[in-house]
Amino acid sequence: MITIHFDEMWEQNFLKRVSNEGPWDSWEIAKLALEAERQLAIPSFNGLQAPNHLPNLAILPHQLETAKKVVEEMNGKAILADEVGLGKTIEAGLILKEYMIRGLVKKVLILVPASLVLQWVAELNEKFYIPAIAQKKAYMWEQCDVIVSSLDTAKRNPHKALIFKQDWDFIIIDEAHKLKNRKTKNYEFVQQLKKRFCLLLTATPIQNKLEEVFNLVSLLKPGYLGNIEEFHKQFNPKNRTEEDEKKLKLLIQQVMIRNRRVDTDLDWPTRHVENITISFSNEEQNLYEKIVSAKKNEWLSQHELSALTLQREMCSSREALFLTLKKLAEKETANKTSKQFALELIEDLQNLPEHAKAKKLVELIKQINSKVIVFTEYRATQLYLQWYLQQHGISSVPFRGGFKRSKKDWMTQLFKNQAQVLIATEAGGEGINLQFCQHVINYDLPWNPMKIEQRIGRIHRIGQEKDVYIYNFTINNTIEEHILALLYEKIELFESTIGQLDEILARLELKNIESYVNDIFLNSESEGEIKIKMDNLSELINFQRRLKEEKCTDAAT
Amino acid sequence: MQQHDIQHYLERYFKANGCEIKRNEDGVIEVKLTVELDKLLMNRPFYWHYVEKTGKIAEPMTLTFLTKRKEKEQGEFIHFGSPRLHQIFQAAKKTAAFIRLYENMQGTETAYLPLVPWLMLNIKISYAADRKKDYIHSFGLQLITGQLHTNFMNRLEPLNLKPKLPDYSFPLTPLIHPKSGLNRIKKQIAALVESEGSQWAEEAKKRWNNDLQLLERFYENKEKTEAYQNEKIALKNQYEPKVNVEFINGGMLYLRSNIS
Repeated sequence: MITIHFDEMWEQNFLKRVSNEGPWDSWEIAKLALEAERQLAIPSFNGLQAPNHLPNLAILPHQLETAKKVVEEMNGKAILADEVGLGKTIEAGLILKEYMIRGLVKKVLILVPASLVLQWVAELNEKFYIPAIAQKKAYMWEQCDVIVSSLDTAKRNPHKALIFKQDWDFIIIDEAHKLKNRKTKNYEFVQQLKKRFCLLLTATPIQNKLEEVFNLVSLLKPGYLGNIEEFHKQFNPKNRTEEDEKKLKLLIQQVMIRNRRVDTDLDWPTRHVENITISFSNEEQNLYEKIVSAKKNEWLSQHELSALTLQREMCSSREALFLTLKKLAEKETANKTSKQFALELIEDLQNLPEHAKAKKLVELIKQINSKVIVFTEYRATQLYLQWYLQQHGISSVPFRGGFKRSKKDWMTQLFKNQAQVLIATEAGGEGINLQFCQHVINYDLPWNPMKIEQRIGRIHRIGQEKDVYIYNFTINNTIEEHILALLYEKIELFESTIGQLDEILARLELKNIESYVNDIFLNSESEGEIKIKMDNLSELINFQRRLKEEKCTDAAT
Repeated sequence: MQQHDIQHYLERYFKANGCEIKRNEDGVIEVKLTVELDKLLMNRPFYWHYVEKTGKIAEPMTLTFLTKRKEKEQGEFIHFGSPRLHQIFQAAKKTAAFIRLYENMQGTETAYLPLVPWLMLNIKISYAADRKKDYIHSFGLQLITGQLHTNFMNRLEPLNLKPKLPDYSFPLTPLIHPKSGLNRIKKQIAALVESEGSQWAEEAKKRWNNDLQLLERFYENKEKTEAYQNEKIALKNQYEPKVNVEFINGGMLYLRSNIS
């Protein structure tokens, strides 16, 4: 028998008024109050109320379904692991709103990367009418109902102690892949929180090892995958049976939702990819050859990596190359010959005209005649391009990873309203939305395909209504052409869906693909050998992809 | 609640609070607040403190609400999820919890008429665990015979109820004291809760138990750390079934009509 909790305050107050003959309230307002309560009453244990309260929010079908599943089937505890750009924040907001409307949740703790605090606050307030506040003062932990903070702040005292004192009804942790290692302070902190309703958000639930999933799930529902010993015994990839694997998958599906682009009914804009091959001028080509032949010299072999770097930089800009050469020339430990070599190249550099790629860039931008994002690997190139575009009457703004959040927002705003071009050295990080732009130029190519994915993901996401155009610049007969032709084209990098590659590389334990590729270039005797090794790599990736696709169709049938 | 319902609701609310309605047309309502309502809704204590300290003439705010999107109108757009509407809902609840009313009847000025006392109670029953469901009930208990009605508010709809005792009427003294009246209604509520069945609670307990067993297994042969204790408390908070009864409003009614 469940005891019934009656509202005693009302009773006492009422009897007092009866004996004091009042005061009495307005009948009309009492009727209005009852009407309001009828509107707000929750008619059923199931279903979602939140959409009725959010008439201005465009909720996508997969987001609605996710929210429903978390509330009805997962008891409000889930890992939301949608691929990048499918709107995990919207899903989390929807679920939180639902519990708040139902009156089950009042006190809410939201832990996100520092750079995203203000964005979360804004989205919850504007899109969900949830009065979230960014944590600034220590008293706020106690006094504010919905508080957003960074995990780094939260886990330190005095905050930590104050947070532990509170009974939180609902906890959201964004970028939860930072909690994969259970030996970290982050993990320990989150483990000790009283987690009633809890959402962990991550786009990459598995990065390296299966154990990471175990750790994540055990934060949410300790014991759900057994304890670590049992888990290792049963699900060790080396000796688990197919049965075990199926079982594990089924288990995980009950605590984790992963929507993928291919599964959503959304009309994703088409991607058009164009590879643009450019030839060096004669002077440039000579200089490049000089670097290549120097690679075989013994004295540079201690700086092997630098030789590769020099080649890549030469493909980007004089300025990028110059900086590295200058460092080499000034390096105390460098031997005389290499210093001599560096100085000689610097001398040559000064006689070079504009870079062949920069020339092509201006031509292309003028032809596109609309907003463009240009990505480069080098800050020196970024500066050079900014200057060079200006010389040709093209307005641009820079964008770097090191910018503070407010500066990033400011640059995004400038780009949107005033400049034609954004020149970026990184993908812009989480939460920067550039959907108003349709053109991306990869001015030089990073050696980590994940970076390319992130770049494209900035504009190829929800909210992009038009087709997306991607241009890749490579220089003829250089290392750049190799990586494009031997690797990226073969694995269909530019055409593949975002998020897919991530899983494949994780499966292959090829997280550090960049150094792997480096290795191929450095330790191959001939062009032929490079080609064979790169072929192997792309075959491996494609094989994994086919395997995955088969599994997907298996699961679907 | 549709947009036109909201418009109507706002109009009634501000009228009931004695505000001047400056404009009330399709999708737009403009009101000048009273001092009381300004203090209740606008959250500007410093202004009121200043006005009262300096003895200046108070100037309550004039607000424009839109229930339809209009390009040329400036104002706050109100829909079912708006914080403003919920603030008004809360304010209505807070300021109208206790009432006393007398029924007025036409053409009875000649003889003295007795008015029968009733205890009215509007309540919300919430069944809550990790999920939740509410029911609204309206009770009326005749305080002489002990006759109990449900759905009482609807039965009151046609009556003319006023806060002042009409001429030529006199209220009968209750035989059942309001306090025991309340207890009778509470018994009725308990019966209602019982008839709802316990399946929902059993299911919640089952979910609770499942998670509890997992937790025990996780810490099997291990030190029961603080994290373990916290997790256990959190599970209780999440799943423990509870029934809460909230009294929305209620009061004493003196009626001439027979309620059946």
